[in-house]
Amino acid sequence: MPNQAEQAERIIASRRGLCSERGPGRKEAEEGGCGVVGFACNVPVSGRHIFTPSVQMHNRGNGKGGGIAAVGFDPDQLGVSREILEENYLLQVAYLNPGVREKIEREIIRPNYKIDHEGWTPTIDDHRDVGLESKPPGVYRYFVRANEKTLKAFAKEKGLENLPGRALEDEFVYQTSYSLNKKYYASLGEKAAFVLSHGRNMFILKIVGYAEQVAQYYKLDDFSAHLWIAHQRYPTKGRVWHPGGAHPFIGLHEALVHNGDFANYRAVGNYLRQRNIEPLFLTDTEVSILLFDLLYRVYGYPLEYVIEALAPTTELDFDMLAEDKQDVYRKIQASHIAGSPDGPWFFIIARNNPAKNEFQLIGITDTAMLRPQVFALQDGQVQIGLVGSEKQAIDATLQSLAAEDERFSPIADKYWNARGGSHTDGGAFMFTVKNNEPTAKLVCTDKFGRTIEVPAGQQCRFEAVQAEAVEHEHLRSLLAETPNEKTTAALFELAAEHMADWSFENLAWLCGEIEQWAKQSDYHKQAAIELLTLLNDRKYPVGEKKSASVLEWVRGTLDKLLLDTPKINENNQSRFCLVDQETAKQIQGPKKGQEVLIINAQGFSPEGDEADFTVVVAAAKAGWKRFIGFRYTGQRFLGCGMGPETEGVRIDAYGSSGDYLGSGIDGLQIHVHGNAQDQLGQILKAGKLVIHGDVGQTFMYGAKGGEVYILGNAAGRPLINAVGKPRVVINGTCLDFLAESFMAGDPHKGGGFVILNGVCLDEQGKLQELPSPYPGANLFSMASGGAIYVRDPHKKLVSEQLNGSEFSDVTEQDWELILPYLQENQRLFGICIEDLLRVYGVARPFEQVYRKVRAVRLSVLVSMLEDSED
Amino acid sequence: MKVRQAPERFRNPIGRYIVLRDPGLCTQCGTCMKTCPAGVFTVAGRLALRPKEWLCPGPCQAGENACIKACPAEAITIRKNPLLNTLGDFRWPVDLLLDTWEMARTGKAPIGDNLRYNLGLSGGGFDRMRLSFPDKPAKKIKPDEVDLGISLNRRDHGGRLDISVPYYGGGMSFGSVSRSTMQARAMVAQETNSLVCTGEGGFPTVLYPYDKHVITQVATGLFGVREETIQRVRMVEFKYAQGAKPGLGGHLLGDKVTTAVAKMREAVKGSALFSPFPFHSVYSVEDHKKHVDWMRAINPAAVVSVKVSTPTDVDMVAVGSYYAGAHVIHLDGSYGGTGAAPDIAKKNIAMPIEYAIPKVHRFLTEEGVRERMTLIASGGIRGAHDIIKAIALGADGVVIGTADMMALGCIRCGACESGRGCARGIATTDDELAEQFDPQWGAQRIYNLYQVWNKQLREILADFGLKSVRELVGRTEFLVHLDYEGREAAKNA
Repeated sequence: MPNQAEQAERIIASRRGLCSERGPGRKEAEEGGCGVVGFACNVPVSGRHIFTPSVQMHNRGNGKGGGIAAVGFDPDQLGVSREILEENYLLQVAYLNPGVREKIEREIIRPNYKIDHEGWTPTIDDHRDVGLESKPPGVYRYFVRANEKTLKAFAKEKGLENLPGRALEDEFVYQTSYSLNKKYYASLGEKAAFVLSHGRNMFILKIVGYAEQVAQYYKLDDFSAHLWIAHQRYPTKGRVWHPGGAHPFIGLHEALVHNGDFANYRAVGNYLRQRNIEPLFLTDTEVSILLFDLLYRVYGYPLEYVIEALAPTTELDFDMLAEDKQDVYRKIQASHIAGSPDGPWFFIIARNNPAKNEFQLIGITDTAMLRPQVFALQDGQVQIGLVGSEKQAIDATLQSLAAEDERFSPIADKYWNARGGSHTDGGAFMFTVKNNEPTAKLVCTDKFGRTIEVPAGQQCRFEAVQAEAVEHEHLRSLLAETPNEKTTAALFELAAEHMADWSFENLAWLCGEIEQWAKQSDYHKQAAIELLTLLNDRKYPVGEKKSASVLEWVRGTLDKLLLDTPKINENNQSRFCLVDQETAKQIQGPKKGQEVLIINAQGFSPEGDEADFTVVVAAAKAGWKRFIGFRYTGQRFLGCGMGPETEGVRIDAYGSSGDYLGSGIDGLQIHVHGNAQDQLGQILKAGKLVIHGDVGQTFMYGAKGGEVYILGNAAGRPLINAVGKPRVVINGTCLDFLAESFMAGDPHKGGGFVILNGVCLDEQGKLQELPSPYPGANLFSMASGGAIYVRDPHKKLVSEQLNGSEFSDVTEQDWELILPYLQENQRLFGICIEDLLRVYGVARPFEQVYRKVRAVRLSVLVSMLEDSED
Repeated sequence: MKVRQAPERFRNPIGRYIVLRDPGLCTQCGTCMKTCPAGVFTVAGRLALRPKEWLCPGPCQAGENACIKACPAEAITIRKNPLLNTLGDFRWPVDLLLDTWEMARTGKAPIGDNLRYNLGLSGGGFDRMRLSFPDKPAKKIKPDEVDLGISLNRRDHGGRLDISVPYYGGGMSFGSVSRSTMQARAMVAQETNSLVCTGEGGFPTVLYPYDKHVITQVATGLFGVREETIQRVRMVEFKYAQGAKPGLGGHLLGDKVTTAVAKMREAVKGSALFSPFPFHSVYSVEDHKKHVDWMRAINPAAVVSVKVSTPTDVDMVAVGSYYAGAHVIHLDGSYGGTGAAPDIAKKNIAMPIEYAIPKVHRFLTEEGVRERMTLIASGGIRGAHDIIKAIALGADGVVIGTADMMALGCIRCGACESGRGCARGIATTDDELAEQFDPQWGAQRIYNLYQVWNKQLREILADFGLKSVRELVGRTEFLVHLDYEGREAAKNA
């Protein structure tokens, strides 16, 4: 048996004839965008669950290309034996011109393959029934093995005789499909046919339309698989008649979808060409999977090295690696940097790894993290790992699954972002379904193979158990009296204290009590909302129960309570008033006694004139000041368009709020009770933003002011180009480029600053230090004003992480400046200043705990001497 | 506003000639005053004043100077102004410069060959193109009947936005230019029913009275951009890139960041200000759509323009912008840019605008969306001929930048990047320098220049047989490119 290097050389040499004489072609269309989502589950789930997340990400595509891939099937659904399913290649050919099928079969398929099963992929009768304009191609499915004689001849002709059996057969399939695509797709004026997929126990389907229409058209609603990925394409060219360019693309046993756009398509094309690979579909995505296949299958790299070759580790992160790892990575980078895609990209790969009997879902982000990405994990009665462009797509998937199957919960146990090209997680995570065990098991690991785990616990769906009263006198007496200002806090404290001991039956009782309690009066309702909000926002010990399940109960109860509000078109005396999509047009000013407008965001379009944010704008104009929005499914622009001078307006948002929330606010307050998405608080002028969770990318870009509190982390590039006087507390950390080009004056003369605490609350609600308050590079780079106050008692930050700024001590004056913000932070999130100032359990003075990063006046940037500052 | 004389601000403006009247020889007979057609010679009471030499058009009488010929005492000598050897550059040669000043002063076309003030010497770009007039226009049209108006919103959403001339003022921020300059441009925009863009430096309050004619620019640094500044205007411009420095963001050197500029941008005085490239929140076409949606969320009536430079795939960018919901695609070519743009970027990156315009025009047409998307070109549009050329290549209209500066008396010294460098007080942020001119005077100068252009545009369109500038879009038969002239004929021969 040849060694890996020889084998790789032989395979590459054997492809020499496949490339044409001309150089790499130009990209067919620019397509930066796209919405991607994928999930892997240890039990097979049906294709309909890719439907809702796909629909909710329509605004990331334009209906000109949608695709899905699925891995790991039940053999019965396909009408084959398990052996055939697992051993055979599932060759799917899209016949754009149905007339060529016989010819292609005669010429390519039948001579090369032994076909064990074949047939058309079932479809619905009329594509127009699911809203498709152009009829998708007929897809013919063949379960094949290489014809032994042909395979032998192939090995001989290509010099691959020494290749082990499957490696040879894999390469044979790869080259056969390549030839088919080249002849019937790439070289024709009129494209006739192409191979959609050819891997084992996996397939790809794609159309000109939206991703969910793939599932509908090819009748995958009830078709189950372990892995699903979907892609909404956004090609810039308008006229697309066939789905050849749509995602996913195939390697061998893997399908890849991509969100992004390479700046160096040509360079990567050349790199591939030097290795006898020529892209035929002329998109970034095809090139990406060709790279992956080359590195993984041909070069035989372990997955970690493949990821390193795609998204190299750089700067400080590289220095932080172990020395032996640096040696390897240096060599990988030296050999493959020319093939490393440059620019914004995010890959989701679904693949079958037959050698290990595993299915794997992989998400890889580029080193600069220029595309949005969220990962999530749920580990209970069943295990599911999810990855997508937006958190709301993940939530939509879980809700869809949970609605049908009790074993799923609508809330994941953990949500997180990857840090691209980093030494911490490598910017990539994989969810591996291991089939070797008696029951399949899902394992989540990062690039370095470290396992991501979530705490175990009992799961219980909302309203799935009967109530069982809690005998607690104080609790009962609190619920008996009319609520005053202190009632909510007292009730919350009580609940937080005892939650760990309570069973789900007790929780059911409490939720029921709160529901009944809220019906008594508006005061009760207000208090109930506040109580449930605290139970939703705060962390407290939950005992044997899963916190996601507790949250489900809390949110479910709050949801019921908010829905149980008189509608705007109904006559009522309540302080509360409900508006939904149907009644949106009937917005009018608050009648006497009306104070709180509750907006049910379900069904509102995510943007445009009919979106929910327009309701808020209209209502605020009509005189409303208090808003509660709930059931968000990624609707964008909440709080935008309100104009200046909106002090006194407050919006509370529950559910999956969307991008650009609070971008441009000038006075009002928005409280987000959960994680927020990307582009929050852009150009924020004044007002307050409170996020009881994480925020996404480019948070507060170009902000001018405002008071902002973040319980969790900020993703990449927060506060870039912020000016004026923004004052921000981030309790977690940031991925990179925090406050680049920050220009917010002198904090002591009314300028802005950021407090970075680098802590988190654990499952028990206890404060924990993160491994580093800021693991990345480019902290406060090129800043000319403002300051960052970072909690760094162990001096983990080093000057290499800065770029044109410097560390300095926190003075008494500094501490006085930031203290009120830490106090407000304590009030909002329960993060005590006392705890923040404790190191290894010992109270320390602030100057030993906090450090200041301030701007340095770089002589190259400043040519004017400072005279009077006015 | 009417066309009115707006003399130069300085006592001895630059002219083509140096006119000397030897007081020793002069008899003060007044003959020169009578013969000079340009009013060079004047008296105060009985005393002959120093000749206003900058008014001298040169040989005015059959190749000779009337005054020299007429002077009985032979007291007058005229020679070329040696200063001319130091003025101008290939794109704005000295003749174009002097004539532009004259048009701004008088509101009339200079005497002599119109190519002198419609062509540069760059040897490329618009300077290699000529207009091609039909022997006889298809229709007989009087210049007065020609309509110069264009519509900027041709989609079914956003507010209507029609302007009366096929050009509007490009973005120059408060910081890159002075407040007086901005105000002067805004006054003209209102007067001519056109628009002017704020650039990326905030919305100074002096512009509030004109805000229906102001475009708020939202550029990558987001300086001075607030909901309020987006809501008060009819048009919003996203600046993704500028032709003068594609691939680079805006850059205001520390020197220009004075107290007032820093205050407007809420930044730090004296520190250089960078706008990143690109938008940190936009790395793809679907981000771009989200960005446009955001603008429309803040101001649903806004017409959204997307300003980009001209990379080779600019056609894709244009069509992507259409699907993102933009109304205007604004291609900014590389011939423009003030002295603040680095030469290496200005002269070496991206596609020439005369290639980009037809490429995008054709692509949008093939895509079937051309009639719903407004195509605007900019970057080195210096006068009426350039406007005609850009539109005939496929644009709907153009954006003017540098020419406005010329009208205000810019001498192209190229010191725009430094705060106290602009001796003329145009591109300065220094308070004292900026007070050199009254915005009213500046407005008159720019207005005068535009009136000359409008007259030329009407005459040219009438000669083409077109009743409206809108009929000219993409009519390349009215152009000749000297590099390709005769090539067809040679091929056929």
